[in-house]
Amino acid sequence: MAINWGFNIARPRAVDMDANDLSITRRIMAQMPEFQACIACGSCTATCTAGNLTSFNFRRVHTLVRRGEYEGAYEEMGKCMLCGKCRLSCPRGINTRGLVMLIKRELEDK
Amino acid sequence: MRYFDSFVVPFAVGALILFAVVLWKYANWFIAMPRADKKRVARGIFSRRTAEAVGEVISESLLHRRIFRVNPLLGYMHASLAFGWFLLIAVGWIEAAAYGLTFSPLWVHVFFRWFGAHYGLEHAAVWGIDFAFVMDLLLLFVLSGVALAWAKRMRSKMMGMRKTTRHTPGDRIALSALWFIFPARLVAESLTAAIYDNGGFLTGSLGNGLLRLLGPEVTVSAEPVAWWLYSSVLCIFFVAMPFSRYMHIFTEIPLIFLRRYGITSSEKESSFDHFQVEACSRCGICIDPCQLQSQAGYDRVQSVYFLRDRRYGMLTESVAENCLMCGRCQNLCPVGIDLNTLRLNSRDTLRNTPNERRYEYLRGIDPSHGAGKVGYFAGCMTLLTPRTLQAMERIFSAAGEAVWWADREGGVCCGRPLKLAGETDSARRMMEHNTALFRKHGITTLVTSCPICLKVFKEDYDLPGIEILHHSEYLRRLLDEGRIGVEHGAESFTYHDPCELGRKGGIYEPPREVIRSVGELVEPAQTRENALCCGSSVANLAIDDRNQEKIAVAVAGHLEATGADAIVTACPLCKKAVSRGSTRPVYDLSEIVAGHLKESAPADTPQA
Amino acid sequence: MSKKVIIVGGGAAGMKCASTLRTQGVEVLLVERDRTLGGKLNGWHKLFPTLTPAGEVLDALKREVAASGAEVMTGTEVERIAANGVTVNGGRELKADAVVVCSGFDLFDARIKEEYGYGIYDNVYTTVDIERMLNEGRVALADGSAPRRIAFLHCVGSRDEKVGQRHCSRVCCITGVKQAMEMKELFPQAEVYNFYMDIRMFGPGYEEMYREAQQKYNVNFIRGRISEASPTFDGRLQIKAEDTLVGRPLKMSVDMLVLIVGMRPGCSNGRFACTEGVNLAPNGFVSPLNPFAGNVRSGAASIFYAGTVTAPKNIGESMNEGVAAAMSVVEYLNAR
Repeated sequence: MAINWGFNIARPRAVDMDANDLSITRRIMAQMPEFQACIACGSCTATCTAGNLTSFNFRRVHTLVRRGEYEGAYEEMGKCMLCGKCRLSCPRGINTRGLVMLIKRELEDK
Repeated sequence: MRYFDSFVVPFAVGALILFAVVLWKYANWFIAMPRADKKRVARGIFSRRTAEAVGEVISESLLHRRIFRVNPLLGYMHASLAFGWFLLIAVGWIEAAAYGLTFSPLWVHVFFRWFGAHYGLEHAAVWGIDFAFVMDLLLLFVLSGVALAWAKRMRSKMMGMRKTTRHTPGDRIALSALWFIFPARLVAESLTAAIYDNGGFLTGSLGNGLLRLLGPEVTVSAEPVAWWLYSSVLCIFFVAMPFSRYMHIFTEIPLIFLRRYGITSSEKESSFDHFQVEACSRCGICIDPCQLQSQAGYDRVQSVYFLRDRRYGMLTESVAENCLMCGRCQNLCPVGIDLNTLRLNSRDTLRNTPNERRYEYLRGIDPSHGAGKVGYFAGCMTLLTPRTLQAMERIFSAAGEAVWWADREGGVCCGRPLKLAGETDSARRMMEHNTALFRKHGITTLVTSCPICLKVFKEDYDLPGIEILHHSEYLRRLLDEGRIGVEHGAESFTYHDPCELGRKGGIYEPPREVIRSVGELVEPAQTRENALCCGSSVANLAIDDRNQEKIAVAVAGHLEATGADAIVTACPLCKKAVSRGSTRPVYDLSEIVAGHLKESAPADTPQA
Repeated sequence: MSKKVIIVGGGAAGMKCASTLRTQGVEVLLVERDRTLGGKLNGWHKLFPTLTPAGEVLDALKREVAASGAEVMTGTEVERIAANGVTVNGGRELKADAVVVCSGFDLFDARIKEEYGYGIYDNVYTTVDIERMLNEGRVALADGSAPRRIAFLHCVGSRDEKVGQRHCSRVCCITGVKQAMEMKELFPQAEVYNFYMDIRMFGPGYEEMYREAQQKYNVNFIRGRISEASPTFDGRLQIKAEDTLVGRPLKMSVDMLVLIVGMRPGCSNGRFACTEGVNLAPNGFVSPLNPFAGNVRSGAASIFYAGTVTAPKNIGESMNEGVAAAMSVVEYLNAR
């Protein structure tokens, strides 16, 4: 996969829900149903140990995954240190650490 | 051939297959072991360790001392089967030897009742031993164990087991064969005793009864059938043994020796693991202590199932990851299998994704501040329990300690959570980073209030010249050396042992001594080695929030049942978890110390 | 012979219920745990969305109760309720033909969310503290100075599974907006930021008030939940959140952090639920017979509910339920 610069002028601006393949998203959701309960409060990103040091934004990446935007998601998730602070912060009780591992597993060969 | 009859063929074939397979396995496993491990064996073999291993084999493989500790009746059941059978073989061999048949084929010893009778060997007591009586007594001993095993299948509670293992079909075949071996032997020996009018109190009298019931003709024709049956059941059991749970019968022995020679499992799978995995008897003692079973209702993830799945190559991530690694089962395992390490290296196999470039962003990062010989590493979780930070700050200032704060503004994770997830190689990146920081700032003591960090600092970091202390140890030292003074109050505290600190770190006493210096300590029913897990362990990647909460509520209830005024723990994660279920205050150890300091700085007192 | 009704709790709902029952000629005993009537209304300064002084509403209620001739028993805690009366502290049993439970809610204890620093750092307050300070006429930082930057955090102890509070407390959003405006009134130079997950403006005039806060008072709304607060070297507070609409983490130093605390089920709910017909919902509030025609009725014919004992409500709704419960009681008594 190409280096992720965080932006790409060639990429269309819209999240194209007609074109995006949501099969991986559905598989992830099936394995972790509580992921669907995310209300995007951003607590996970705010408390993130890795996010404190880098541009890693957990909520943004997993939201993109939910929309079928997988590009670069595996590499981004690789920045997570799995420390577990986000799991303590999440008001919806989502197993965020498990989610990092799950997304990585599902996107491994992409 | 002298001393032969066709009925011994199934037995002989079964035994041959058994020994061939077992030896083949052991040889392969041993050959594949790393050179360093082989050297350990070579060094240990002619040392005291061998004698110690022999002692352990007797006490564990034969007598099952550790199972007796779990439940005496369960212990008796296992001992009667293992030790009883062993004695039957051993005494049977002595008996054959007494008649000069020391080096005769194996089946002569095993079926000596048949050979003795049919070949007209003398049956009076030789060497002053009434073998018929002794052998009958031993058979009765074993049969009592079989009877208990049957009873256990029906009512496991009788032996203190709430839940027993669900077995695979292969195990069930082997189990059924095992159950029939001794009844079959009893019938066969009784029929022979009836025909030759001998036998002990058991086989002799049963034989007479059968003779009266069946008549002489039927008895004579039934005898070979019974011996064939006995031999065939043995054959089935022997063939099934190396492929079933009964592989443990032999495997525990090399395991004990290798362990005594200092061989251990590590974060990467190794050939030695086979000895551990196949030494599991699937007794299921690990099921009851598992809170995932008792509170969360996860039924297929306990160590017994994990080892089984791993052994047969069916291990899934959902099983490997669904474990708190609290160590409660390992504490009770009668075979002493290093369950947590095996779980860890399975995760490594499933999940380790080496990537040299990962965590490159760590380069040059140093958010630490302050300077001193003492470094304080709060740990990620402690940043969410700022009362601990505040308390530590007050204590440091009361003790006049100059402190280097490693991560108060957010640092780099210690690496243990990643390691527990199986990403062993990537975890090294963080360990290297933090190690370099500790070196750069020249600390000689590293204090952490997080037992997870403590564990990895001690186990995986290479920090010569730096003393690593949990804050409970550090606080005790400050108190012992009189560097801080505390007032003893009237409050009573109960203490929750964090798994990583207690069972996995062996630190039980320091936090208790600190508590006793400021108040009364009330122990919960399950404490120290048996302490409950808070349920929020970072080792479990699969458990959902509702189940974490259920476990936390149960643990909090257990702690509150002591009637103590407040709950004290020494781990930020435990504190967060127990707070979820508690109606009483939950403190970190440092908070109660800071709250009882004799000269507390008025500027730092919190607002009401 | 006249019928007697015991009302458990003398807050907005209980007081309204008492005076209404008296207008129907029913004998009333109003039992209140605190020394004075009024419940949580006592702690308020001005009420949303009209900024009516809380005292006006409270005094009117008190006058109504006094004029109605209802018997009031303060400083008395109800231990148990039953179909035919209540048991108060000390074990005394009081008989009645019906019981109306108006025992209200408890405030979420912000110290539980340790990461926000309440009770640890100076200048972290709850909305209750702010109302108190407004009543005392002195809102200031711990050192007496005026805040230059204030952050409000919505949903503290609401919609948070980590503290066992799965429900939305409803009134906190508008409370936060109201107090943000009051802060701007007091400190026009100060910047005020409200951190929210969702803004739920359910009542009449609430949405208008929200808009007024944005447009007229320049209150800034940032969509993101604060994850933690920590002290800075210069004695301020640093808060961390994600500005979810920008998609980037956000840090901010503030002089004052106000935690908008939610409602938790009343601590007496568990005790009351030992009575046949009184049941708790999974969130810990008392569950009414049904949420439509039976929302002031329990599973027991002679036990009724009004106010926040069943769910978070605002003052107007609680008072309306007091009336509704009173009329249901009368209906029940007449039918006997």
